[in-house]
Amino acid sequence: MTNIIETKNISKQYEQGDLSVSALNDVNISLSNQAFAALLGPSGSGKSTLLNICGLIDKPTQGALYFCGENIADASDKELTTIRRNKLGFIFQGFNLVPVMSVYDNVEYPLILLGVGKKLRRERVTAMLETVGLLPFKKHLPDQVSGGQKQRVAIARALITQPRLVIADEPTANLDTQTATDIINLMYTMHKDFGTAFIIATHDERMSSHCNIEYQLHDGALQ
Amino acid sequence: MKWLKLAIKNVLRNRRRALVTILITAVGVAAILIGGGFANFTYVSLKEMAARSSGHLIVAHKNYFDKEESVPMEFGLNDSNSLTKKLKSDEDIRYVIPKVEFTGLISNGEKSTIFMGSGVDPKYEFKVKGPFLTIDDGNILSKREKENNPQVMLGKKMAKYFNAKINDSLTLLSTTVDGSLNAIDVTVQGIFSTGIPELDKRSILVNINTAQSLLSTDKISNLALHLRETEATFSKYNKLTREYADLGWQTWLDTAFFYVGVKELYNRIFGLLGFIIIMMVFFSIYNTVNMSVVERTREIGTLRAIGTYSNEVTRNFVLEGLVISFIGASIGISIAALTSLGLSIAEIQMPPPPGRTSSYPLAVDIPVNLYLITAAIVTVVCIIASWLSSYKASNRSIVGALSHV
Ligand SMILES: Nc1ncnc2c1ncn2[C@@H]1O[C@H](COP(=O)(O)OP(=O)(O)OP(=O)(O)O)[C@@H](O)[C@H]1O
Ligand SMILES: [Mg+2]
Repeated sequence: MTNIIETKNISKQYEQGDLSVSALNDVNISLSNQAFAALLGPSGSGKSTLLNICGLIDKPTQGALYFCGENIADASDKELTTIRRNKLGFIFQGFNLVPVMSVYDNVEYPLILLGVGKKLRRERVTAMLETVGLLPFKKHLPDQVSGGQKQRVAIARALITQPRLVIADEPTANLDTQTATDIINLMYTMHKDFGTAFIIATHDERMSSHCNIEYQLHDGALQ
Repeated sequence: MKWLKLAIKNVLRNRRRALVTILITAVGVAAILIGGGFANFTYVSLKEMAARSSGHLIVAHKNYFDKEESVPMEFGLNDSNSLTKKLKSDEDIRYVIPKVEFTGLISNGEKSTIFMGSGVDPKYEFKVKGPFLTIDDGNILSKREKENNPQVMLGKKMAKYFNAKINDSLTLLSTTVDGSLNAIDVTVQGIFSTGIPELDKRSILVNINTAQSLLSTDKISNLALHLRETEATFSKYNKLTREYADLGWQTWLDTAFFYVGVKELYNRIFGLLGFIIIMMVFFSIYNTVNMSVVERTREIGTLRAIGTYSNEVTRNFVLEGLVISFIGASIGISIAALTSLGLSIAEIQMPPPPGRTSSYPLAVDIPVNLYLITAAIVTVVCIIASWLSSYKASNRSIVGALSHV
C-alpha cells in the first residue's frame, strides 16, 4: 500500500538578501492512510513550512516529494491545484472562511469546484453540517458564529470532498481549551469515520493522546 | 449563476466604493451617449438640410461637374422634359426639379453687385426646402407669375445692401448663351435667409423661365432628384449612373461641405471625449478591483489552497467588474434615454453653429448602434481592467498570500 505523502530528504531555504535561512533540513516523513499525525516543535522550527510542502502549496528547495507514489517535482501549478481540489483538505489557524458566503456556502464551495450536481451537493453538505453540529447555523455568515463554530465549518469544508489527507496548521491555537478539545475530538472522529489521514501542526499536548504518529521538529530537522 | 451571485455579494462588500465606481461608469456612459446622440442628431439634420437644398442626386451634362463653361449653359441639358419624364416614372424618386444656375450683376440704378442666381420651379422648390429656407419678409415666388412682371427673391444681406423692400424694382444683367449682354427688370417678391451669411449676401432666386429668358436659352443647368428616402441615395446613384452613363451625376454628399466639416469636427471632439471617458471608466474599475484584490489577498490564498484554479479566481474578479459595469452602464443608458426624451419635450434652442446665423433646437437622438457599441466597449474595457488588476494576485505564491495580513 503506497503512502499518501512521502518526503525524501527535503530541505527548504529562504533567501533574504544575502542571508539564507534554512527552514527545513533533510526531512523524511511518510504518511499512510491511517495516519493521524502530530507535528510538534517550538515556534520557528519549520512546522508550517513542512505542512505547506505536504499540502502542495509550496515546493522544497531540495529533495523529492511523492504524492500517492508519484514524484510531483515537475507538476505544473494547474496539476497541483487539481490534486489539491480532489485529494487534499486544509484547516487553518485563522479559519479562513469566505466572509460573504454563508456557513452552508463555505462548505459547499469545494463540491462546486468538483462539479458535483446540485442535488447531491445539498445532500452531502446537509449531512456534513449535521455531523459537525452546525445545521441550525447553515444560513449564518462566518462573522455570526463563534470561533469554535468557525473551525467546525472549516473542518466540514476540508472533509466535504472526502480527501485523502487533511493538512491542519495549528487548528486550535485561536481557541479556548474546552473548544480546542472539542475540535481535536471532532477531527479524530472524522479521521476514524471517513478514513482520512491528518497531519496536524500543534503545540497542544492533548493532541498526542489521539495521534498514532508524532514528528518532532527542531530548527528544521526531525528529532 | 452561483458565480454571479458570489460576485454580487463581493461587490456589495464595500458598498461605498462600488457605488462610486458605478456612478463614474454611469455618468461616463451617459455622457458618451448624450454627446453621441447630440452629434448624431446634428448629422441627421445637416444631412437632411444638405439633401434638401441640393437634392439627393443631381444630374447634369457629362462635363457639368468637372469642367468650366466657356459660355453660359455650354454644359446645360437639352430637352430636359423627356429625361424628367423618364426619371419620374421611378417609384423611389419623389420630385425631379430643374434648375438654372447663373451669375451676373444686380442693380437698383444706384448700386450694383454680383449675384449668384438660381432659376427654380416654384411648384416644387419651396416644398422640398421646407424648414431649411426661412422667409424673412414678403413671399415665395408665385407659381404663376405674369410674364411681363418677373419676380425675384433676395438673400437677406443683399436686400440690406440695396435697402430693398418688397415690390421694389431691380435689374438683372447677365451674359446670354451666345455671348451678348441681356438685362431684365424684376420685382422683389420676398427676402430669405439660408442661415449661411456668405450665401445670403449673393443669392437670388427667380423663376426658371426668367432665368432662361435672361440667358436666352431653353436649356437647364441640372435636375435635382429628391428621393423618398435619404438612405437610398447611394444605391440609387449606383443604379442611375450605370443606366445614364452619358450624363454627369453627383450626390448630395459631394456638395455638403458643411455637413462633412461639422461631422469631421464633431467626430474628433466627441471621439476624444469618449476616449477620455472610457479611460476614466477603465481606471476607476481597475482601481476598485485592485483594491478589492489587495484586501482579499488572504482569501485568494485560501481559495487557491483548497483547489481553485488561478484562472477561476481571475474570472471571479472579472465577474465582479462586470457586475459593476453592468449596473453602471444600465444607469447611464437610462439617464441618456431620459435626457433625450426630456429634451424632445423641453425644446431648448442651441446657439448657431460656426458660419451660421440661425439657432436650432437642442435634441439628442437615441442611436441604437451607439448604445450597443458603447455597452460593448464598456464591457470589454471592464473585462480588461479587472483582468489586469486581478491576474497577478491570482497567480502569486499561495503561501505568500496566506500569510498576508
Ligand atoms: N517567507 C519566509 N521568508 C523567510 N523566512 C521564512 C519565511 N517563512 C518562514 N521563514 C522562516 O523559516 C523558519 C520556519 O518557519 P515556520 O513558519 O515553518 O515555523 P513554525 O514552526 O510554523 O513556527 P510557528 O510555530 O511560529 O508557526 C523560521 O525561522 C522562519 O523565520
Ligand atoms: Mg507555523
